[in-house]
Amino acid sequence: MYQITCPHCGPRAQTEFTYERTTDSVVDPAGDAQTAMQALYTRANPMGLDDEIWRHTYGCRAWMVLTRHRVTHEITAVKAIGPEALP
Amino acid sequence: MSGPNRPATGAETIAFTFDGTTYHARPGDTLAAALLANGVGLVARSFKYHRPRGIMTAGIEEPNALVTIGTGGRAEPNTRATDVFVYPGMVANSQNRWPSLAFDVASIFGLAAPALGAGFYYKTFFGPAKHWMLYEGFIRRAAGLGNAPTEADPDNFSQKAGFCDVLVVGSGPAGLKAALDAAEAGSRVMLVEQDAVLGGSLLRDPDPSIDVAAMVERIRALGGEVLLRTTASGYWDHNFLTLTQRLAEPGAVPEHGFAQRLWHVRAGRVILATGLIERPVPFANNDHPGVMLSQAVRSYVRRWGVLPGKRVVIATNNDDAYLTAEALVDAGAEVVALLDARASGPAAPAGVTVYHDARPSSVTGRKHALRKVTAVICGSEQSFDADLIAVSGGFVPVSHLHMQAGGKLTWNEEAQAFIPGETPQACETVGAALNPLPAPAIAPVGKAKKSFVDFQNDVSLADIDLAWQEGYRSVEHLKRYTTLGMATDQGKTSNMVALSRLAERQGVTVPEAGLTTFRPPYTPVTMGLLAGAGARNAGAHVRRIPLHALHAAHDPIWQPLGYWFRPRAYPVNGESLAEASLREARTVRTLAGLSDVSTLGKFEVSGPDAAALLELVCATTVGKLAVGRGRYTFMCREDGFVNDDGTVWRLAENRYLLTSSTGGADRMAHHISYVRNSLRLDLKCSVVNVQEHYAGIALAGPKARAILASLIGAEPPRHMGYAPGVLAGVPVHVLAASYSGERAFEIHVEATHAAVVWHAIEAATRVEGGAPYGLEAMELLRIEKGHVVVGGEVDGRSTPHDLGLGGMLNKAGGFIGAAGLTRPALSAPNRNNLVGLVSLDGPIPEGGMLIQRAGQSPQGHVTAAARRILEGGAIALALLQGGHKRHGEEMIVTSPTRGEKARVRVTSPHFYDPAGERYRD
Amino acid sequence: MIPPGNATVTDTTSIIALPAAPLHALEIWSNPVAVGARIQKGLGFAPPPLNRSTGNTATTLLRYEPTVWLVEGDVSVLADTLGDDGGLTGIGGGIVRFRIAGPGWRELLLEGGVFDTSAAAFPAGATAATVIDHVGVRLHAESEDACVAYVPASYAEGLHHFWEEALPLLGA
Repeated sequence: MYQITCPHCGPRAQTEFTYERTTDSVVDPAGDAQTAMQALYTRANPMGLDDEIWRHTYGCRAWMVLTRHRVTHEITAVKAIGPEALP
Repeated sequence: MSGPNRPATGAETIAFTFDGTTYHARPGDTLAAALLANGVGLVARSFKYHRPRGIMTAGIEEPNALVTIGTGGRAEPNTRATDVFVYPGMVANSQNRWPSLAFDVASIFGLAAPALGAGFYYKTFFGPAKHWMLYEGFIRRAAGLGNAPTEADPDNFSQKAGFCDVLVVGSGPAGLKAALDAAEAGSRVMLVEQDAVLGGSLLRDPDPSIDVAAMVERIRALGGEVLLRTTASGYWDHNFLTLTQRLAEPGAVPEHGFAQRLWHVRAGRVILATGLIERPVPFANNDHPGVMLSQAVRSYVRRWGVLPGKRVVIATNNDDAYLTAEALVDAGAEVVALLDARASGPAAPAGVTVYHDARPSSVTGRKHALRKVTAVICGSEQSFDADLIAVSGGFVPVSHLHMQAGGKLTWNEEAQAFIPGETPQACETVGAALNPLPAPAIAPVGKAKKSFVDFQNDVSLADIDLAWQEGYRSVEHLKRYTTLGMATDQGKTSNMVALSRLAERQGVTVPEAGLTTFRPPYTPVTMGLLAGAGARNAGAHVRRIPLHALHAAHDPIWQPLGYWFRPRAYPVNGESLAEASLREARTVRTLAGLSDVSTLGKFEVSGPDAAALLELVCATTVGKLAVGRGRYTFMCREDGFVNDDGTVWRLAENRYLLTSSTGGADRMAHHISYVRNSLRLDLKCSVVNVQEHYAGIALAGPKARAILASLIGAEPPRHMGYAPGVLAGVPVHVLAASYSGERAFEIHVEATHAAVVWHAIEAATRVEGGAPYGLEAMELLRIEKGHVVVGGEVDGRSTPHDLGLGGMLNKAGGFIGAAGLTRPALSAPNRNNLVGLVSLDGPIPEGGMLIQRAGQSPQGHVTAAARRILEGGAIALALLQGGHKRHGEEMIVTSPTRGEKARVRVTSPHFYDPAGERYRD
Repeated sequence: MIPPGNATVTDTTSIIALPAAPLHALEIWSNPVAVGARIQKGLGFAPPPLNRSTGNTATTLLRYEPTVWLVEGDVSVLADTLGDDGGLTGIGGGIVRFRIAGPGWRELLLEGGVFDTSAAAFPAGATAATVIDHVGVRLHAESEDACVAYVPASYAEGLHHFWEEALPLLGA
């Protein structure tokens, strides 16, 4: 089980998170079908670092991008998606 | 050996039974120590050949002495006698024998051993099938371990989180020191020990300079947590470890109802002080009771005061066994011979004859007791009368956790051992595991067929040789072909011996021969422990609807629906499910009924951009809704397929309520959050999941409007209208939506006030001759009306067009899935379309396939079958290739698995009031 | 034979289901600083930072999300401060509050959990959302002696039972 450092809550157990998709498979709702299908079905899937969208679903419910190594499972960076929290 | 091996001192206060005979143990005895003390040498029968087996080790690596502890649901099969501490009343039984341990009929398999060698199963499988049919039943009965209990385990299992800066595994001298150092440095420390007492190797080789009790007291005083009977069994990603803790001994009644605990520990740093496991020595009959590892002998003598033999031969290739000679001599045993495979060694205790260039070749015994050891000494054979042989083939560092952590091993040629090296995690190994004693490679001299390597799976040197002859080169293949290392001990005592043999055969070094993968768990784990509290209820809590208790008072038939439980029907006067649901459905069609729909997904969307968000999520238009109006809607996935459906209501200028299906509620919550909080951060709106905030009550039937009007003191909204109201003094939302096809309402009320509202509606409904209805009646009603259900007709492969919903799509596009829907395949003419089926004869089998004539490939399938509620006659909904254009066609529904068939006519799916006239007042 | 572990006094730890109370989700979607100032003016205290709580006798704000606060108690003042920058939505019907009081609350919440409830990681006044025995719950460390858990109503009975069963394990 990973430990993911949520940008809002700090280090938390993977159990609290859900994986959504890689950033290269995000579909622009205003885009055309071909681009959308390309994003959904032809992902880079690198054997190394990849940017993945996760959500701290059972924690602060916020979305974030993890840079995760697909072989070693090392997480090298976590970046919040969304408005910076109020002070 | 026979007779007791420990003089009674009066400390033998714990009575227990083994195979029905009562024995006595001292506090602190393992079952193995107690059995040895009582002179019980034969403890088990081997897995395949039913060979007699005794106790070989003093630790968790024990391959032979597997027993069943406890009775009934608490029985724990395949427990190592060396890893269970005797308690009063403990019931232990041997396994894999019939009729008794001493006289086991199936031991005749030992005579058939040549036929049951390595690869037996594979060869038999590849032979004619009838061979396997012939052997199977017999083999399944004969080969095996203990029996799984048939009763439910009465105990609970705890799962608990743990956090520490430093986790130390193993409480020997190195582990104790590491834990104390870390605690003194201010770290939060956890120290875990699989034994019931701390000390590790100190229990066998005491060191007066180490005060274990003082060290532990200090660690605890500094806030450290010290866990006994706790095994670090899994090492996972990011320094996450699972520990298994025995809160009660196997088979014992636990004090607090919990037998074991699974710890989930996140550690900043892990220190592995896991020590060494001694390597056995291969020679003929080296699995005989009375063959024991040298350090184990020393443990029994020093820790438990048990002398496992009176005339002992020691066989070694290293210096450590000389300490065993010393311990035995001190305890008054006779060391008949010390066979050292090396040309020289240290000084032996007085009176012990050391033979160099000496290695055992075989042992023999009588009545399962060891009698004679034969050795090859400087090339010639010599025999010794002995009742015990203590063997040491060197030492294997316990690197399991290190390897699970992704670590590397380095080869130590002198010790013939793999030493833990680097790891990618914050983890290091300390202590004896880094420094095994020099122990040179020694070629075995006994008969290979009887020289056992894997004792638990009955794999001998000859089996490894055979695998080699048959072309198995990779150690991974060898393992699978011979089953070496695949038993419950996972090869703790066998892997290195086997690897040496393979390397020798290949003419390569041991590291070149390779290693198999180390996988969790380190020692076997009870399944219930992994399930935790979920072992009781299929792994998850039941979700209770707000009015659960109220429904329960009606004694309904319950229906599990995802995690939820909902009333399926409310039978009266002994009705069956079918009778009750038909009565309830008829009541709705003719009078009125009420039903609990609290599990519907519900989202409150507010803010100036609420409509913009909904137009993105919903595939239908939303923006044009007037305040106080609602509509049916559905949501698509990005690929264009229908994701879920529901209704959307404009409660106020900037406030909407969106409902979704019960099963889709969690999925939609995630999806909507993704759209709102990941894709469209610019929107000024708030989406709040109010699924549980509101309880929902559906009121449906020709009399529903009048009933509701009397309850809220106002004219209820017309079909697809919304109005706030007060019912039984409680504020409610009234949504005029119909799933049944009748004039109907959903009344949503804050869940904490739902009971009073339900009671009021039920009372008013009963006055009109109505009654509550359950899910089954709801199913009859919606099928007849032709309403789709997510998970049934909406199966993840259906487009809006397939379901006849194409006309409702937002023509302006811009919703999630709009682009995906433009793909040509999604509007191909031969797609599966929603149709109705009317039976021309009997009932329509649900799940049946649609064909035109026998032998044809299916052209569709039945998604839901029912009957006309008032008129009678079987109907169904189905997905049929090109179905929209096939109304009127006659087909056959066939269910070969049930042997059922029906002739049907394809129709529109709307069997009941297709014009929707019954909605209008 | 097994020496006693780190003994804890447990007989005083209790689990109490609290009566239903008004609970709202307060979301701020624009001008957070200005809204924060208005709230401070209206309530007398600023909305708390993430994973913290603040309150007075009438209203408590608990923050679990970057843009959302859980409001316990009176929201009449708040409603007027939001304008078009935020919204309030009632959620109290779907949540059951449990107060776990006594010296064992931190240890009890480790049962079936994945979150570090130690005083260093979760001091009094802190809030956290996490998973306990597969159920998403929100925690509020009221004080050193008590924690309030906000549990989805559908799971309340199951989790209550889970905690009651685990109580005797404290210190074991």
